[in-house]
Amino acid sequence: MREVFTMWRHTQMVVLVALTAAIYAATLIPTQFLPIIPGFTNVRPANVFPFVFGLLFGPAGAWGAAVGNLINDFFGTLGLGSIGGFVGNFFLGFLPYKMWSSFFRRGEDIEPNLASRKKLVVFLAIVVLASAVCAVWIAWWNDLLGFVPFAALAAVITVNNALAGLVLGPIFMVLLYPRIRRWGLLWTEIMEPEEVSASRLRLLGNVLMWVGGLGGLIVGLAIGLGLYEQGFAAAGFAAGGAGGLGIGLGLLPFLALIVVASFLLGGREQVEAARRAPRRVR
Amino acid sequence: MEPAVSIEGLGYRYRGRERPALRGVDLEVAGGEFVVVMGHSGAGKSTLCAALNGLVPRFFRGSMEGEVRIRGRPTRGRRVGELAREVGLVFQDFEAQLFSTNVELEVAFGLENFAVEREKMRERVREALRMVRLEGFERRQPATLSGGQKQRLAIASVLAMEPPILCLDEPTTDLDPAGKQEIFEITGELRKREDMTLIVVEHETEETLDADRIVVLREGEILADRPARELLRDVRLLEGARVMPLQVPRFFGGRGLGREELPLTPSEGVQEFRRRGWRIDPRRHGELLEEDRARERGYGEPLIEAEGLAHRYPNGVAALEGVDLTVRRGEFLAVLGQNGSGKTTLVKHFNGLLEPSEGSVRVGGEDTREQGLLGLGQRVGYVFQNPDHQIFSDTVFDEVAFGPRIRGLGDGEVRERVEEALAAVGLEGFEEEDPFGLTKGERQRVAVASVLSVRPEVLILDEPTTGLDYAEQRSMMELVRRLNEAGSTIIVVTHAMWVVAEYAHRAVVMRDGRPVLSGSVREVFARERELRAAALRPPHIVSMSNALGHTALSVEELSRITEG
Amino acid sequence: MDPYLYLDRDTPVHRLDPRAKMFLLLGAFVLAFLFPDPLYGLGVLGLVLCFGHAARSLANLRRIWFILAMIAVMTVLLWSVFGGGRTPLLWFVELEPVLYGLGTALRIDNTIIAGMIFLSTTRNEEIATGLVRLGIPYRFAFAVSTALRLVPTIIATGSTIGQAQRSRGLDLDSGGVIQRVRKRIPLLVPVFVSTIRSTSVFSMALESKGFGAAPRRTYFLQLSVRRGDVVAMAVMAVLVAGAVALRLAGYGGVEGFSR
Repeated sequence: MREVFTMWRHTQMVVLVALTAAIYAATLIPTQFLPIIPGFTNVRPANVFPFVFGLLFGPAGAWGAAVGNLINDFFGTLGLGSIGGFVGNFFLGFLPYKMWSSFFRRGEDIEPNLASRKKLVVFLAIVVLASAVCAVWIAWWNDLLGFVPFAALAAVITVNNALAGLVLGPIFMVLLYPRIRRWGLLWTEIMEPEEVSASRLRLLGNVLMWVGGLGGLIVGLAIGLGLYEQGFAAAGFAAGGAGGLGIGLGLLPFLALIVVASFLLGGREQVEAARRAPRRVR
Repeated sequence: MEPAVSIEGLGYRYRGRERPALRGVDLEVAGGEFVVVMGHSGAGKSTLCAALNGLVPRFFRGSMEGEVRIRGRPTRGRRVGELAREVGLVFQDFEAQLFSTNVELEVAFGLENFAVEREKMRERVREALRMVRLEGFERRQPATLSGGQKQRLAIASVLAMEPPILCLDEPTTDLDPAGKQEIFEITGELRKREDMTLIVVEHETEETLDADRIVVLREGEILADRPARELLRDVRLLEGARVMPLQVPRFFGGRGLGREELPLTPSEGVQEFRRRGWRIDPRRHGELLEEDRARERGYGEPLIEAEGLAHRYPNGVAALEGVDLTVRRGEFLAVLGQNGSGKTTLVKHFNGLLEPSEGSVRVGGEDTREQGLLGLGQRVGYVFQNPDHQIFSDTVFDEVAFGPRIRGLGDGEVRERVEEALAAVGLEGFEEEDPFGLTKGERQRVAVASVLSVRPEVLILDEPTTGLDYAEQRSMMELVRRLNEAGSTIIVVTHAMWVVAEYAHRAVVMRDGRPVLSGSVREVFARERELRAAALRPPHIVSMSNALGHTALSVEELSRITEG
Repeated sequence: MDPYLYLDRDTPVHRLDPRAKMFLLLGAFVLAFLFPDPLYGLGVLGLVLCFGHAARSLANLRRIWFILAMIAVMTVLLWSVFGGGRTPLLWFVELEPVLYGLGTALRIDNTIIAGMIFLSTTRNEEIATGLVRLGIPYRFAFAVSTALRLVPTIIATGSTIGQAQRSRGLDLDSGGVIQRVRKRIPLLVPVFVSTIRSTSVFSMALESKGFGAAPRRTYFLQLSVRRGDVVAMAVMAVLVAGAVALRLAGYGGVEGFSR
């Protein structure tokens, strides 16, 4: 997690946080085109941005996604739920770069582009997982507050993010990577290796993230829907308050796994690889 | 006395590029001097500026040779933040430089970074705003300022730090004539100060007359470094460096005068003209007028007709009032005016982007309100000012094919159209290139091609020459002229007056939402006083010819009609 | 087009230090959150609206009423379906979840209205400076405040880009969901590119003005906590303490509700 803090030393990274946040906030606005849960979430093509920001700009993209979502809340929906949105969107941008190199063996090309089929598949997989992780955080928080039932929100957020990421993500990466690289703005070229966490047990981190993210989503849905069925079938039963805390406590292990995984995954190898790569001469 | 800036053997190559941006540059600037730097796109002007405050080499990854000394101390090893106390740098793109929520904070930013106490800060902010004449604007949001005001704000934010050396990198390029004027007035005042060394990168040759020295860069090397007036007389050198020479000396040089005798300004030119007993032949001038009229007779039917057109914004402010305009097939019309005069609002009615609040606009005989954007886009193509606002594909081919494809044309037809459009703009062979790897001029052509591939009858170009150097501007305008000669009707929105003079047939001048002048370019440019009221000035050669009683629109025309 | 909610008025609330306002906002969040009972929710709503009236910010309700309404409707629906209770109402819906839904709709809407009042009375630069004074690292606050400032610019750019692409024939409103998502590409890519392009110039301009030059930094904007701020915060603290006590004593919940 080191790079999440050391990145602030670099003026360009600071600027990238501001710019990506502003882009995200601005493009989320014209978004009333298919409300899914009106007031909570719509189909948002702009949701492709956190994945792209994350992979290209690393920690700056993660912060940018988080801040951008918060600022979008400033346009009318700033509330307690915004905290969940901040954390959730942070992970949406965090996972792409953090998990990227853990899918590859040492020596394979880990440039943040989609130049091979394997890379495309990895990208799509990360999109799905990151969508789930984001959904788990946001839906868990809102459920803990008692605002929105986990099942409804989690499913919708996952699908929403994944849709934008799967449909638009690859195209955007293909269109944007060469330009970002040419302008020298890839995070792997701005940051220094010592500033990024070393990968200690990145494969383990990768696995734990899947368990935490998908596991959290599935278990959360099960709890949420299961209790619903219970209530439905047993109308009139004085079910205790345990139901409400079911999500709140039940998902804690999964959230913990996500956090642990974040520390285990590294990223330093990506910056080292960028240092070694020969610069393309024009 | 230690020179303010002393550069020896400076070379710099950006990482990943083959050619060095600068090579063997030697330059000395004494304290209090006003030096102008000129050159074509990519000549190394911005790199030179960046070398003054340490951005080169610290910000970029590249290799630097030679030495740059600011007031005697080398810049190598010193951080940009530290050098910022001595060298203030203002960039061309003022939008990208402003980031605070109000004017005061923007100006105070540098002072905050240097931990200046609040009381002192307030003083310096006030002083800086006064120097750029933005007093009273303290609480305004930068986004609400005009282009000229924004650039002045950027200058103030640097002046507040009171650097003894100020470097402005193309400060006026993106501004309208009124905005340019504001900047020139400020630089005019700054240069009078003994304690300030001023280095300005500039394209507008007409404004370099006040400089002490002009340095011309070409391909990363210094081509010439001479006193301003001397260099401006060397027309051939400037042309060889792809910098626009002044028209008056070019005219006189073309008629055989020696370099030392060349006048530079219109008034000097008029004097010299009379001194030599030359006169304008009214008969030959009459030929020019007749050619104008013959051309007008050759126009076809009206393609665009605006009647009583008015447009009001949702908040009630009138952008356009009472506009009557007819554009006929084959015309080449220029729409002139300051930013905010309504010129862009006007032309956006022609392709249906905007609808009239009152009155009507007819294209091809039908009201625009009855035609959809797709249909109108087929007749009237609109090339936006900033090509980066429309390019999104990763090959030139796909970019140019977008229009035809979205209209459902088959692959074969699409390919034909793309090839035709690329040939028209001179970009054959560029099909597989990444548009963002091209130069700005080339990207602009891609934007034109992507509109041409739809084969519209009318082509509207919004500021096609902004940001291009002289050679690129000529190239672009020659392309537009060829399109016009091949049958396209052209509408150009611009404030580059020499472009209007040499290429357009007719002109409309907008001011506060109304057309205040309209007619052939020759007629419009003869009325200098009214142009000035609209914050426009005709090119030097036109001014000169006006003073001599017969309007000529270019050096060639004036030569043609001069006797003696 | 100004997407922000700030209303330039002069009220006692506007004059409060931004840090005090943040404290009040937090307090309001807690107050709003505590009571699922719709009656209590109405009470909190009343408090919030009174405060909003004092801050002359209620005009902004016009801008967000649609969101508030949609949230209310959806919250009631969702909890009616997902929640369980004792007293059957109709079909499979019981009374308690509906009450809970109503109460929660009020809770959510109350936090949002409180947020709206905060944003209506606090300028962006005050938010940024307030954050810094509270200990948030300067660079982070800078990124946030710059992003705030840039959003309207990007919206304007987006609008220009939209016009340029529509001129080329891009029709955004037809087609199924996936198609419509794909049609956003010619809009989103240029917005991204033309904005990110300015990163270099922007960073250079920042460094050229000494960004990060000195370890310590001074601030132009003066912030000082005054008596009014302390009073307001004290009142809020008392309210929150009282509300928490009330809730712990068992009031304000929805009996018989389960999830």
